[in-house]
Amino acid sequence: MVKKGIADRVAIIGCDMTKYGELWDKNQYDLLNEACNLAFDDAGVKKDDIDASWLGVFYYFTGLSGALLEDVLRMDGKPVTRTENYCASGMDAFRNASFAVASGAYDVVLACGVEKLMDEGSSGLPGFKIFGHPVLPIPSAPAMFSMAATKAFHEWGWTKEDLARVAVKNHENGAHHPKAHFRRAISIDDAMKAPMIADPLGRFDCCAMSDGAAALVLTRVEDAPSYAHNDDYIVVKANAISCYTNTPWYWPSFDFTHFPATVKAGESAYKEAGITNPREQIDLAEVHDCFTITELINDQDLRFCERGKAPEELKNGTFNWDGETAVNPSGGLKSFGHPIGSTGCRMLTEVAKQLQGRAEGRQVPDAKIGLAHNLGGAFCTCSVSILAKNDVKI
Amino acid sequence: MVRHGIKDKVAIIGCESTKYGELWDKSQKDLLFESATGACEDAGITKDEIDAFWLGVYYYFTGLSGTLLEDTLRVHGKPVTRTENYCASGMDAFRNACSAVASGAYDVAMACGVEKILDEGGSGLPGFKIFGHPVLPLPSAPAQFCFLATRCFHEFGWTREDLARVAVKNHENGYYHPKSHFKFKVSLEQALAAPMIADPLGRYDCCAVSDGSAALILTTPELAESYAHADDYVLVKANSISVFTDTPWYWPSFEFTSAPATVTAAKMAYKEAEITDPRKQIDLAEVHDCFTITELVNCQDLQFCDRGKAPEEVKKGTFNWDGETAVNPSGGLKSFGHPIGSTGCRMIQEVTKQLQGRAEGRQVPNAKIGLAHNLGGAFAVCSVTVLSQRD
Amino acid sequence: MTIGITSYGAYLPRYLLPRKLVSDAWDFPQVPGTKAFASADEDSLTMAVEAGLDCLAGIDPKSIDGLFFASTTQVYTEKESAAFIAVILDLRDDIITIDFTDSLRAGTTAVCRAVDSIKANKDIKRILVISSDTRKPEPSTFWEFGFADGASALLISDEETVPLSIEDYYSISANVTGPWKRMDKDKFIRTFEVKMDAKFYTESLVNVMSELMKRNNLTPEDIGGAAYSYSDPRAFGKIAKILKFPQGAAQNGMFLQVGDLGTAMPFMLLIAALRRPKPDAKIILAGYGDGADAILLQVQDKKALRDLGKTRMGVLKHQKSMITIKNYNKWIDDKKLLEKDRYIRKSSAVTLWRETPSVYQMKGIKCKNCGAVQYPMMFHSCYECRADNQFEIVKLALKGTIYTYTLDHLVGGNYYDTPVPRCVIDLDGGGRVLVNMSEIEKPEENVEIGMRVELTFRKQHEGGEFHNYYWKCRPERGRP
Repeated sequence: MVKKGIADRVAIIGCDMTKYGELWDKNQYDLLNEACNLAFDDAGVKKDDIDASWLGVFYYFTGLSGALLEDVLRMDGKPVTRTENYCASGMDAFRNASFAVASGAYDVVLACGVEKLMDEGSSGLPGFKIFGHPVLPIPSAPAMFSMAATKAFHEWGWTKEDLARVAVKNHENGAHHPKAHFRRAISIDDAMKAPMIADPLGRFDCCAMSDGAAALVLTRVEDAPSYAHNDDYIVVKANAISCYTNTPWYWPSFDFTHFPATVKAGESAYKEAGITNPREQIDLAEVHDCFTITELINDQDLRFCERGKAPEELKNGTFNWDGETAVNPSGGLKSFGHPIGSTGCRMLTEVAKQLQGRAEGRQVPDAKIGLAHNLGGAFCTCSVSILAKNDVKI
Repeated sequence: MVRHGIKDKVAIIGCESTKYGELWDKSQKDLLFESATGACEDAGITKDEIDAFWLGVYYYFTGLSGTLLEDTLRVHGKPVTRTENYCASGMDAFRNACSAVASGAYDVAMACGVEKILDEGGSGLPGFKIFGHPVLPLPSAPAQFCFLATRCFHEFGWTREDLARVAVKNHENGYYHPKSHFKFKVSLEQALAAPMIADPLGRYDCCAVSDGSAALILTTPELAESYAHADDYVLVKANSISVFTDTPWYWPSFEFTSAPATVTAAKMAYKEAEITDPRKQIDLAEVHDCFTITELVNCQDLQFCDRGKAPEEVKKGTFNWDGETAVNPSGGLKSFGHPIGSTGCRMIQEVTKQLQGRAEGRQVPNAKIGLAHNLGGAFAVCSVTVLSQRD
Repeated sequence: MTIGITSYGAYLPRYLLPRKLVSDAWDFPQVPGTKAFASADEDSLTMAVEAGLDCLAGIDPKSIDGLFFASTTQVYTEKESAAFIAVILDLRDDIITIDFTDSLRAGTTAVCRAVDSIKANKDIKRILVISSDTRKPEPSTFWEFGFADGASALLISDEETVPLSIEDYYSISANVTGPWKRMDKDKFIRTFEVKMDAKFYTESLVNVMSELMKRNNLTPEDIGGAAYSYSDPRAFGKIAKILKFPQGAAQNGMFLQVGDLGTAMPFMLLIAALRRPKPDAKIILAGYGDGADAILLQVQDKKALRDLGKTRMGVLKHQKSMITIKNYNKWIDDKKLLEKDRYIRKSSAVTLWRETPSVYQMKGIKCKNCGAVQYPMMFHSCYECRADNQFEIVKLALKGTIYTYTLDHLVGGNYYDTPVPRCVIDLDGGGRVLVNMSEIEKPEENVEIGMRVELTFRKQHEGGEFHNYYWKCRPERGRP
């Protein structure tokens, strides 16, 4: 697959995100404007220094084509590409921006993402009125993942309490992050008693609806030290995307207890970055926890632990912010919600700041190598990116 | 802006397109499968030899994310990115695929595009029921380009006849192309007598709604030597995208007689490709003719002629398939229709075959350098690609 | 300090329906004259905005302390229209707003209550009272000859001096036999017996107007003008006879051309009466509907009234640009008397709310760096000089010149034979907008670059299951 990759050639020289939440009085222009300008300030660049941009947006109603970004920043006709890849839209924007920089086509580029979910009201992901086949059923997002939960309960004896523990951990972390949507810790009891959304997933097993944006500025590693973070720039070790079927319920041999897209993307990224023991080498990971079950299965598929063992490891504290492999030290989608196009960029921003020792919430101690992961659609599209401090040799 | 570019770093080693038309009995998966496997055959490779994919799709109802391609080809886990950039979606897929190959991340990549517009019915581009602001008006696609036509008539004295001549030329070309949607010639009188769609654009001034797909296989020039088109692979000289406002009617100084996105994208591409006299050096160009007025304005913005002079040049035959700068020798969007996500890839595929001397329709004589151009949204996004023969 | 009427405004729709077309359609006896009717994209609320804009021409909207909206054809039964109109007219939010409804005298009642509010509250000095109606008559009934659409507005203020003072008012209440319209059940107005309607109308108005004169020691000869609502010219004339008003005092000139404007009628008649005000004249403004109100007005400053007439569209300027239609079906269609399926689209209420200054108040932004005026307000970076976030908010003019346009047959994803003209307009003083055009005949011939147009507030569609409003443009009617 990835023969050579772009490891060690691309650097993040600036990044930032808006606050996430039910931002009724802000529109996508406001959010992108805020995130991009914060990222420019962080990098010490001006908008006219950007040669080309990539924009992750999932919903047509948030905006179509790259013109959305142009109407925000006014970059005099420079290139803007919109990438759409379900929940991996934002990270795929970052990935394509990385290729462009590595190829020598441009010097300094912008990767960003935004979504205005709240414009369509707040009861679950919109679009189901118009997406999909005339009659073949398309389950809601929670319903899709609940199929995996049901199978995992059956196969490994996982319980609702195991799921609840993920919510408790993430809300605990999110309570410390100034930009999170939800900043209140919850108890296992709260999670267990919540109303059902899609059995066995209850309200606290599902991430909420919210709005937000995030942006990163990239350049080649050789040029990175001349920007605001000088020698403290972050190096991109790997960018992987993996696509599987959008209708896994028609795949005869699919077992619903692992996500092949995560497995494949993880493999591809580890290979490109030269990672051989993910659990030991990855210090922190922002992992797609749209639902609590998703985080548990992803932990296994990313090889942070063996199959079937994720709840145990969680109980032991392995995945705590100060554990062996911190998973979602920011609080994850549980605390931030999931404005789809922006989440990948938010995670990358989070990981970059952690590695630079300036995390806004829980600071993972001694963070040298970090991973960001998204899983979208009917667990069909996965993106994995690995970042590291620039003095790290793998 | 483009500091170094990717000139001469990427080669097209295979390409194919489906027939275009009202393909009621084919789904987007059927179309993608056809063009993708056709391109693989042309390149002499199997789908498993492709490392990564880029897919241009505009409408959410055609398909979301890269999984549409996965569910078509079963590439089992390989990376697929969907790019959306209005009518430039397909060419932007190509551009990003080129970057990835030029960066060394992958050896062989595929760029493809598809659209199934007719699934939403055949009367004009769909989506207007749901796109856009609650109340700020969003004119239909023809209406948006009408703003250009009305202004050009006012400023340059162009007439409906000038527009009609474009339709006549393109249908004349399309008649000879086996894969075009429309295979009839149209006379000036017929074009002028057609019913109005958005004054002053009548039915023959507008490209039709249709389905279709096209695909290209890319690799580095070094690796290109080991595939089927070793002797005549086509080199990518430049890829550019330029994005301007999505609502030009709010731009106080916008003149509606030129598309800044095309002007800028062309400049960037010519610089990267080192083209100094486009009219002379470009042998053929597949230019976005969603509406007849668009082709005229594009020819000026692409520097094929002076401002205001495009209709004259059309009349003189400059843009005929055997003229100085052949514009839309395939028959253009007028003959093929515009399944949005696929058009950019179809154009690149067309130019590639022209440069290889195996055009399926009118073969432009002595074609050495070719250009493909898309303009989408409210003339907001433009993509320009320049290709040449390998030597 | 005196309380009185310091400004007025009016709106009459563009189209007149000849009564002959109604007679011909149903084989009724011929009835002379015409009546005004609203376009398909108008309703009581949009017309109220027009009348409000006319009334507030040259007046700072932030100086207004209240807005009362009177109509028997409210567009919502739960959701206050006065609050919405106040936002569109850019009034403050610390004001009093009320919808007066259910009775054709809601307008005059609102005036009385406005005076009460001003008297009772030292912080309330100016209240804008707007009356508006778009009543639908049942086809093939005699009401079809009379019911018409329009809106009128009066600014009631407490000032040092006023052009027209409010001296006194008197009301009675009555539970009558008709007409009525039940909520949820009646599409059209009904009544028990038309003769009884006329009887109550006559008796109530005679009652209040004579009592008003008596309380103020006035004889009929003292009355310079009487503006009181009517739908039947004969009953109207009878009242004038009973009360012995001098010749010409009772305002009966509008029915022939314009028709019965319902709640908006009394104000409209008053505005017509003020065209040639006699100095010191006493004028009675009265409304009827389940009772009656009579208000005594006194001309204080004839010149000030004449000046108002010059700077407002009022009645005359609207009448000048009204055209008579030739096809009865246009009336039926515009009134949606036959329910036709228009396209349905979706909509986002929060987007509209968030963009109130742009969408409802036609505000734009001016770049402090290069001076370019832009619209809408959501942009952060200047179109012209690309400077970031250096904007100040400006109010855009409601008229301008067409820069380019199109006649779009593809509307909402369907093809229609009648195109929608869409115009890019350079507004006077800066700002470029794109809006649809309304009320243009033969657009292929009549729309052109350089044409002068005015912005008008109209209904757009029912996406999201609520009324979506925005501005359109129309050929100039002479708004100042």
